[in-house]
Amino acid sequence: MTHPLEQLRDEALREIESAPGEKALEAVRIKYLGKSGSVSAWGEQMKTLSNEERPVVGKLLNEVRNAVTAAIDTRNAQFRLQKESGALAKIDISLPGTPHELGTLHPLTQMWERSIEIFRRMGFALADGPDIEDEWHCFDALNTPPEHPARNEQDTFYLPDGRLLRTHTSTVQIRAMQAAPPPIRVIAPGAAYRRDELDATHSPQFHQIEGLYVDENVSVADLKGALEFFMRELFGAGTAVQFRPHYFPFTEPSLEVYVKSKALKGGERWIEVAGSGVVHPAVFEALNKARGDNAYDPEKWSGYAFGLGMDRLAMILFDIPDIRLFAQNDLRFLRQFA
Amino acid sequence: MKFSVNWLREFVDLPKNPEEIADLLTRAGVETENIEMRGAQIDNVIVSQITASSRHPNADRLTVCEVDDATGTRRQIVCGATNYKVGDKVPLALPGAKLPDGTEIRKSKLRGVESEGMLCSPIELGLGDDASGLLILSPDAKIGTPISDLFPSDTILDVEITPNRGDLLSHFGLAREIAALTGKKLNSTPRESKIAIKKTDVTISATRECPFFSARKIDNVKVGPSPQWLRTKIESVGIRSINNIVDISNFVMLELGQPTHAFDADKLKGDINVRLARSGEKILALDGKTYSLKPDNLVVADQERAVGIAGVMGGEETGVTASTRNILLEAAYFLPASIRRTARNLNLPSDASYRFERGVDPEMILRTSQRVSDLIREIAQGKPDKDTAVAGGLPANPPDVSLSYTKCNQVLGTVVEQESVDAILERFGLGKTESKNGDATWRIPSYRRDLQRDVDLIEEVVRAFGADKISGTDRSRFTTSSPADRLHDIESALRARLVARGLSEVRTSKLIPRNAPAFSENAMALQNPLSEDHVALRPSLLSGLIGVLERNLRAGAERVALFELGRVFVPPDAREERRAGFLVWGKIVSEPHWRTPDQGPLGFFDLKGAVESAFPEKLSFKGSRHPNLSIAAEIYANDQFIGIAGQLSSSSLKIDARGGVFVAELSLDLPIRGLGSTATFREFGKFPAVTRDIAMIVPDTLSHEEMWKVIFEPKESLLEKVALFDRVVGKEAEQLFGPGKNSVAFRLTYRDKNRTLTNEEVTVAHAKIRERLKRELGVTLRE
Repeated sequence: MTHPLEQLRDEALREIESAPGEKALEAVRIKYLGKSGSVSAWGEQMKTLSNEERPVVGKLLNEVRNAVTAAIDTRNAQFRLQKESGALAKIDISLPGTPHELGTLHPLTQMWERSIEIFRRMGFALADGPDIEDEWHCFDALNTPPEHPARNEQDTFYLPDGRLLRTHTSTVQIRAMQAAPPPIRVIAPGAAYRRDELDATHSPQFHQIEGLYVDENVSVADLKGALEFFMRELFGAGTAVQFRPHYFPFTEPSLEVYVKSKALKGGERWIEVAGSGVVHPAVFEALNKARGDNAYDPEKWSGYAFGLGMDRLAMILFDIPDIRLFAQNDLRFLRQFA
Repeated sequence: MKFSVNWLREFVDLPKNPEEIADLLTRAGVETENIEMRGAQIDNVIVSQITASSRHPNADRLTVCEVDDATGTRRQIVCGATNYKVGDKVPLALPGAKLPDGTEIRKSKLRGVESEGMLCSPIELGLGDDASGLLILSPDAKIGTPISDLFPSDTILDVEITPNRGDLLSHFGLAREIAALTGKKLNSTPRESKIAIKKTDVTISATRECPFFSARKIDNVKVGPSPQWLRTKIESVGIRSINNIVDISNFVMLELGQPTHAFDADKLKGDINVRLARSGEKILALDGKTYSLKPDNLVVADQERAVGIAGVMGGEETGVTASTRNILLEAAYFLPASIRRTARNLNLPSDASYRFERGVDPEMILRTSQRVSDLIREIAQGKPDKDTAVAGGLPANPPDVSLSYTKCNQVLGTVVEQESVDAILERFGLGKTESKNGDATWRIPSYRRDLQRDVDLIEEVVRAFGADKISGTDRSRFTTSSPADRLHDIESALRARLVARGLSEVRTSKLIPRNAPAFSENAMALQNPLSEDHVALRPSLLSGLIGVLERNLRAGAERVALFELGRVFVPPDAREERRAGFLVWGKIVSEPHWRTPDQGPLGFFDLKGAVESAFPEKLSFKGSRHPNLSIAAEIYANDQFIGIAGQLSSSSLKIDARGGVFVAELSLDLPIRGLGSTATFREFGKFPAVTRDIAMIVPDTLSHEEMWKVIFEPKESLLEKVALFDRVVGKEAEQLFGPGKNSVAFRLTYRDKNRTLTNEEVTVAHAKIRERLKRELGVTLRE
C-alpha cells in the first residue's frame, strides 16, 4: 500500500508537469511547499506520530519534499530557456559581427619574428650593429682588402665623409667578435644596401639575418645541421636542403644554401636562400690584431657564419611576386598578412 | 661568362646532356645560371649574296634587294634593314622556311612590291639577341649553302665564375676543371713549344705593376674579315666580330684565358716601355673616349706617348685598322690590384681587365702569344718574327701549402680518407711534395693562386667530395640574452599593442628620394646615389609615412592608420637613432557597419591615444610650433623631450587629404621607463567605490590639465581616479553658457583600501574639491 505522502508526491509531480507557465508553477509550489502547503502540513503532523513511525515518515517526508522541489526547479529552468531562446529566435544570427579595426604587422617583420623565434630555440642571442659603417668593418676585417675583386665599391653607397652603408650584415659578425671573446652565438637582423637598380627582385635596401657561431671544433657539419633545422622549421619538415660550394672572401669553405619544398609554390626547383661558410682564419687574424690579443686564435677556435635574405625568404614563403611591394606599403597588400 | 659546349668538348669529354654538365659544375661551386640552345637548325635558309639594292617605291624605310641564291636567277626581296652593302653575304629564308619564332615565310607583296623570301637577322635565326640588322656572313661563305652548315647546333652555358677563380675564365680553364671533377683526361692542352726570346726592344719601368711583358712582331698581315668558323665561335659566346686580327686575339683569350693586344707596329714610335702614367697624361682609347691618366695608372708606351692603358684597353691611334701591315703582339702579366684600380678609377671595365685583375696564369702567357701568332699566320698570312721580345720575369709559382688530414676532417665534421683527399687534390693539379705525421705539403699549380692556406685546400676537398655527403649535426647550446634581445622584445611588445590598437605597421625605405615629402630636411645625402629615388638617408620616419599615405590615398583608401619602428639618421652627422612614427588619417572605422554608424574622422586625440597606449609611462603633450605642422605638440616623458606630434600643414602634403593628417614621432633610444620592465602585483581595493560627478562652466582658455591638477594633485586620500566624461564647446556652448565659455564634467571615484566608505565621508571630500575648483579656477559649478 502506498503511503499518503507518496500519493501526495505523485499528485504534485503531475501538476508540476502539466503547469502551463511560470505563474501556474508558482501556484503549484505554494499549494504543496508553501507555508500552509499540503507537504508542509505533514511537518506539523510529525509531532503527532509515535516514536516508531516518526523516523520512517520523517525520511519519507524529506524525500518527497526534495523530489517536488527538484521537479519545480527543472520545470522552471525549462520555462526560462523557452523564454530566452524564444527571444533569440527573433535575432538574425547571419548579421555581420561587429568589426574591430585590427592593424597588421608588416610581412617582413613577420618573417623576421618567425626566423628569430626559430634561432632562439637553437640557442642564438641577438646582436646589432649600425647601418652606417666604415670600410674596415665592411671589407678589410672580412678578408676583402683594397683591390680585392670581391670588394665592390661600385656597388656600395658612400657618404660624403667616407663612411659607407653596409653592403651586408656580416659587419655585425665583426662587431660581435670585437665586443666579446669566444664562444659566441649570435644572430643579427638588419638592413643592408647595394647600388642596385630597383626592379622586381632587387632593391637598393634589403634585409638580412646574419648568424655567427664560434666555439671549439665548429665544422661544416654543424653549419649544415643548424641551417637544415632552420629551413625545415620555416618551410616544413619535408623541405629538402642542399649546400653548394661557393665563394665568399670571409668564409672557407663557403656554401650556398638551396631549398626545395612541395609546400611552396614553384617548389619543384631549388631556390637559393642563404650564403654560409666556415669563418676564414684571416677574419680571426684581423680581429686579433684589432683587439690586440689572441682571443680568436684560429688554431683553437673555429666558427660558422651565414646570411639569410629576409626579403627573399618572405617572397618565397608568402608567394610575393615583387620585392617593391614591401617598401610601397599599400594597405591592400599589408592586410593580406594580418 | 658564356661557354660554348661544342668548344669545351674540344678539350674534354662531356656528358651528352647539357643539364648534367650544368649540374656537375653547380654542385662544385661553379654555378650555371642559364642554359641556352643555339644553332640554326632551320630548313630552307641558305647563304645568299646581295647583288643590288634600291629604294622601295612606296616605303621610305624599306629597300628592294636583288640576291643571288645560287639558282642562276636573281631573287627579289623586300628588306627593312640598313646595315648591309651590296656584295654582302646574308642568310636568306626561302618560301616554306619556318623560323624559330614560328613565322612561316611565303612569297608576298610588301607595299605593292613582290618579295620572294626574307633576309634574316641573328635573332630571327635563334643566333643570339642581335636584332639590329641583317646577319652579315663571312665573305668565304659559299652561296647556296644551308645556313645550318654554318651554325651547327650548340649549347651555351652562362656560368657564374666567382672572383677567386680567374683560372676558369676560358674554355680551356673550365674544361680543366670539369676534367678534375669527373676524373677524365684532357684531350689536348695548349701546345708546349720552345719559344725563342730576346731581351731587347721592350723595357719595363714599373716592374712592380708589370713583372713581365712580351711583344712579338708579326709582319705582312692581311687585315680583313674573319673566316666563318672563327666568327661563329666568338659570336656564339657574345663577342662581336671586328676583323681577323682582333677576332683572333679575342678567340684565344676565350680559349686560354690570357688577353693579348695587337698594335699597329708602323704607328709605334720606337721601343715599347711599360711605365706608370705621367701626371696629366691623356690617351684616346679604342672605345673612342679620351682618358686622363693618373700616376698610379699603368700604361704601355712607346718612346713618345702612352699607346695603351695596360691590361685595360689599347690606344686608338695605334690600333689595328684595315690598312695595318705589320703588328706588334703584346702578352703580359700585370699586377691584379693595379689593373683593378685603373679599371675602376677610369670606370672602364673590359674583358681584359676582368681577367688581369683576377690574375692570369703566368705559364700561359708565352703559349698564348705563340697560339695567336700561329693563327695570324694561318688566317691573316702574317710572318711572325722568330724571336719574341721579353722584359722582366714571370712571377714565381705560388708557395706550397701544407694540410693536416686531421684538421681537414675537423673543419668538415666528417671523415674523408687520406687517399681520397690526396686523389682529389691531385686531380685539381696539386702535387704532394712531402708527407709526415699526418701533414702533407702540396705544390700549387701556377693557375691556382687562390690556394694559399690549408682551408683553401679543404674547400677543394669539399667541392669534389660533395657537401651533401656531410651529415648535419646538432650544436645547439644555452645562450644568455643580450641587450639586443631585450630591445627586440620591447619593440615586439610595442608593435603588438599598436596592431591591437588598429594601426598597421609599415616599413619604408631608409633611402629617400630627391623630392621627398616634408620631414626630409637636412638629410645626409649619399655621395654616389644611383637613382633619384634613393639619394639620402631619412632623418625622420614621417617623410616615409607621408609617402605611404599619399600612395594609399591615390589607391582610394578610406582610413590610413600607420606606425613604423626603425632607424633614422639624424643630421648633421647622420647619427643613428631608433624611433617610432605614427600617422592617422580618415575614418575611425574603415567600412560602414550596422552596429557602428559613421563615427566621423580620426583626429588628433586618436593619434594621441594611440601614442599613449603604446607607452606605459605617462606622457605629457605641450603645445609648440613646427614648420611642417599646423597643430604642434612636444611630447615629454618624465620631463624629458622625446618627440613631436601634430597635424600636418596642408603645404606638407602633395595630395588633398580631407579632415587632416595627424602624425607623431618619438625616440625609442631615450630611456622611457616601464618599457620592457616586469610588472609586479599591487593590491586592488576590495571595498566598494563611490562615484560623484562634477559639472562646471569654465572659460574656454582653461586647459584640461589645469583642471585635472586642481582636482587630483593635492592627493585627497580617498580619491582614486578622475575622468573627464563630457565636454560641451563651440557654438553650442556659447548658446547655452555665453561667449568664451565651455562646459565640462568629471567623474571622481572614491575608495578606501580598508573599509566601506560612508556617504558623509565622501560628501566631505567631494565638497573640498568643489571648493578648490571655485576658489582656484573661478569656475561655475553646475548642480
